Amino acid sequence: MKNFISTFREILKYPSAIFGSLVVLALVVASIIVVVKIPYSEAINIWRGGEEIVGKNPRTVPPIWYNWFRKDKLVVSLDMVEGDEGVTVEETVTEGGTNIKTTTFEFDYQYNSFPQDLVFYFTSTYQDKQPFASVKIFTPDEREIKAGSFAIGTTHTYPLNQDDKLRKKLDGVVPNIGLFIQEGDEAQKVVQGVYKIQVELITFEKDSTAQAEFVMHGQVFGWAGTDHLRRDLTLPMLWGIPIALAFGLIAAMGTSILTMIIAAVGTWYGGFIDGLIQRITEINMVIPFLPILIMIGTFYSRSIWVILGATVALSIFTGAIKNYRATFMQIKESTYIEAAKAYGAKDNRIIFRYLVPRIIPLLLPGLVSSVPGFVFLEASLALLGLGDPVLPTWGKTINEAYGNAALYRGWYYWILQPAALLMITGLGFASLGFALDRVFNPRLRGM
Amino acid sequence: MMAEKTLLQVKNLKLYFKTSRGLVQAVDDVDFTLAPNKAVVVVGESGCGKSSMAKALLRLLPRNVGEYSGKVLLNGVDTMAMDDEQYRTEVRWVKMSMVPQAAMNALNPVMKVGDQVAEPMIVHNAVDKAAALEQAAMMFQRVGVPVDFINRYAFELSGGMRQRVAIAMSLVTVPELVILDEPTSALDVLTQANIMNLLKRIKKEIATSFILITHDISTSSELADNVVVMYAGQIVEVSDNYRFFTKPLHPYSAKLMASVPRLRSKVEPDFITGQPPSLINPPTGCRYAERCHKRFDKCAEEPPTVSVDGHLVKCWLYA
Amino acid sequence: MGSVAEDVTPTVEKKKSSSNSTFTRVIKYSGFRLLSLFVTVVIGIYLTIMIANMGGYVDQMMKAEIQERITMQIQMNPAFKNLDPAEKTRLTEERIQNEIERLDLDQPLAIRSARFLKNALTMNLGRAQHMTSDSGSRNVRLIILERLPYTLLLMGTSQLILFFSTLFIALALSRKYGSFWDKVVIALSPTSAIPAWFYGIFLILIFAAILRILPFGGVIDAPVPDDFLGRALSVLKHLILPASAWIISTFPLSIYNWRTFFLIYSSEDYVDTAKAKGIPAREIERKYILRPTLPTIITSFALLLIGVWTGATILETVFNWPGLGRVIFKAIGLYDTPVIVGTTIIYAYLLAATVFLLDFVYALVDPRVKIGSGGKS
Repeated sequence: MKNFISTFREILKYPSAIFGSLVVLALVVASIIVVVKIPYSEAINIWRGGEEIVGKNPRTVPPIWYNWFRKDKLVVSLDMVEGDEGVTVEETVTEGGTNIKTTTFEFDYQYNSFPQDLVFYFTSTYQDKQPFASVKIFTPDEREIKAGSFAIGTTHTYPLNQDDKLRKKLDGVVPNIGLFIQEGDEAQKVVQGVYKIQVELITFEKDSTAQAEFVMHGQVFGWAGTDHLRRDLTLPMLWGIPIALAFGLIAAMGTSILTMIIAAVGTWYGGFIDGLIQRITEINMVIPFLPILIMIGTFYSRSIWVILGATVALSIFTGAIKNYRATFMQIKESTYIEAAKAYGAKDNRIIFRYLVPRIIPLLLPGLVSSVPGFVFLEASLALLGLGDPVLPTWGKTINEAYGNAALYRGWYYWILQPAALLMITGLGFASLGFALDRVFNPRLRGM
Repeated sequence: MMAEKTLLQVKNLKLYFKTSRGLVQAVDDVDFTLAPNKAVVVVGESGCGKSSMAKALLRLLPRNVGEYSGKVLLNGVDTMAMDDEQYRTEVRWVKMSMVPQAAMNALNPVMKVGDQVAEPMIVHNAVDKAAALEQAAMMFQRVGVPVDFINRYAFELSGGMRQRVAIAMSLVTVPELVILDEPTSALDVLTQANIMNLLKRIKKEIATSFILITHDISTSSELADNVVVMYAGQIVEVSDNYRFFTKPLHPYSAKLMASVPRLRSKVEPDFITGQPPSLINPPTGCRYAERCHKRFDKCAEEPPTVSVDGHLVKCWLYA
Repeated sequence: MGSVAEDVTPTVEKKKSSSNSTFTRVIKYSGFRLLSLFVTVVIGIYLTIMIANMGGYVDQMMKAEIQERITMQIQMNPAFKNLDPAEKTRLTEERIQNEIERLDLDQPLAIRSARFLKNALTMNLGRAQHMTSDSGSRNVRLIILERLPYTLLLMGTSQLILFFSTLFIALALSRKYGSFWDKVVIALSPTSAIPAWFYGIFLILIFAAILRILPFGGVIDAPVPDDFLGRALSVLKHLILPASAWIISTFPLSIYNWRTFFLIYSSEDYVDTAKAKGIPAREIERKYILRPTLPTIITSFALLLIGVWTGATILETVFNWPGLGRVIFKAIGLYDTPVIVGTTIIYAYLLAATVFLLDFVYALVDPRVKIGSGGKS
């Protein structure tokens, strides 16, 4: 135990180790939190997208914090329902059971650019007679614009941009722009101020209800922005952490431990088996690693478990076996093992008190240092289009971004966010592995 | 012990190393002198600083030097004052050479041994390769190595042969002083004897001075003219060989001699209890006091170096 | 004691090699080594063939695809509108059968793969199933050879620059242990964990998207410049970003590894002895540090050569660089087995040749190693 503490203290002498450990720790903690707060099935569901889940998000917009760095703020998305601040409801009941509910959505528009769209979502309950809705917009420069009026079913979606009549009213200018400029303004300067949108919902039955929800698709959304399918990118950013970690750690551990076992077997039995292992290693060198993975991904299955298995299988017969072999040879012939056997130590004791502590210094740095490679491998495969089809990962995000020419079209956040996360993960593990190597590798003592 | 001419005079030599656990005071304020054509043996336990002293004398410093100071006067010239390049051209292998420990690693594994022996001639005496190889061949003869071994590599030679080659190498430029660091500790007894005989012969033939660093007192007794005893980084006794081997002055030296088994004696070899002190924070006062069988109160203070009949002792018993 | 007594200055005799036995020993060993390498290559290639076919799975997919395609073709073709259903079916089946035979899909897997293997080993790489070379030929060897120079250009340039610069810098660095630059190199080495294609994306972002001074990808401008110099410069311009990506990724760790390597080797005892002998520092570096490390440096260079070949599939994809990596990628997408296997075969042969040569070079450079003495550590 004391040994453990003193080694630990020695590791912490290196600033790279401190950085690395902090990063790794943060990633592990984040993974746990993410997996607990957003369970797997829920995550997959959200990621699958679809109208109900993502309809209210704008399309391909950068994250909110872009605005922190801009003087000229981009339009923040709005989602207002009854009970929210800025929403007032008035109900009037007439004889005959009709209920007129006027919901007024009020917001202060202080931007210099235009939202992507304004959409109304209606829900209602009724028996036979459908409720009736009408929308009016009151602009700060005192225009009153009547948008559509129509009957609504149990659900109804009314995007203003798809209303051609409204468009005609605005001189052919698209509503998301037209509503916010002065009539006839060619320069399209935004009229800033308080906008009020009045939604009148008329229900004709006693128990009939109707609600309106107002969504403004802005130019920024969420902590990570959205993608081309309107999906909130915070999900893949967050869920990418446990996935990357799991893949990297499992692959690294599996490979290291299996390689060690193979080396041990070879050293122990020697002769034919040893030679066989050497031959297999050579064959493994001949087989091209990445193309095989690509083949498996293309022909067989893109499931992350299959890829993981194939990766480990192809990574265990490498030159690293030689290093383990050298150490095992040393240990096997060493006199303190002989002495232990001579005083009658049981095999278990020899293995756990003598062999394992000798192996860990060799195992640990290599293990930690190999994690970034595997994390990036998964991202690489995803980039090539061979990523797991259902999982929200960083690689997948980059792949989709690339496929939608994000760099050409200035949607830098789409690539940069997962890239930054990949980089931090890679650097964290690499730094830690590095420091571990300098502490544990006997040949590097004093270097 | 002061002869008219002194070859080497060492004053206040210090060599400290910086380690993660503190400052190791390996060579702590050492003084001694050496006359021409004399062999002095430096004895001491492992870790007493004798190898570090060799390094200090030869200016073979590692990367983590903490302090390196003092005076090393060769024929009256202070070599410590020289810069590295001057030291390299005027002292290294010209005035002083060394025979490293009998390890496989002391010779370049990918160079022929003949070339390595000839190298100093080419570098310092500006002769061409053929002439240098001739000189090397002559040295091979001198030390008793077959001349056609010139074309062999280090791994093709036995331990004894390698050591002879190292000795040949150290003598090829005929320096005035040769420092031998544990030259026989890795060899078997017969080879040890052979090497010692060789050194005796060389000393007679070539008239070099030797500093022989070893922990093996018995074998070195034949070669030594004078004995220097080191303990915990300090010199505790300087004596001539006769006096030392019959009646050593310092209690530590006495115990050392008593620990050597004798061929025809019925007396059991003696030993010293305890461990030498750490060189990182050496104790104040006499460093041997803790293990000394003759210690008394005054030993809590650092003892002075006293001259007794022309021999030097660092002990309160003689102050 | 074994010296030549007659002359005053003894002559130094050159050691005579015991010629005959060494020669036969070397031949025997080489033969044995070649055989074992050959077996390795055969097994490796066979495995690749099997994987490329997923044990017959790909065949089934292809047959299904052919069926669908030809059925469609016949349905759509106005010339066949008037044929009655029975005739159409017969025609469809006939065409399907032709296609299957053209692609050899009617033979059982074992026979096909065996024939494949034999061809592969004799470098008869066959014809591609879907891909063609720039000149329209389906000859797999031609397809590969056409793409090879591009990969060589990219990887060769990058790796060579890397190799020599890192070696040189690392050697200089090893003299200055603990200095500022030493610390910088150590601090920066983990950045090599990030693969080249990653840096590539950033480079594209900065230099192509934002600064607009370098191209997004590809190998040459469109339209292609007329003169040779124009073309050469254009290619060079396109080479900068991908090569830089590779170099930036590999540089830090390379320097660190070599520097540590040289440090370890310069703390050997015989280096100290050389220093004590008063040999000048540059000579020590050459004879006592570089020479003993030569075997490792050579091995590293050989591995580098292999690396040049395999190229960086993803880097080429990111930059749209028409090299071998992209060929494999495309071939996999088209299920074009001959191309996949052909590339693997050439790679395997190259590897085997390098490993074999390495043994010889080792023996030349390190006197401790004798060919056939089993001197592989």
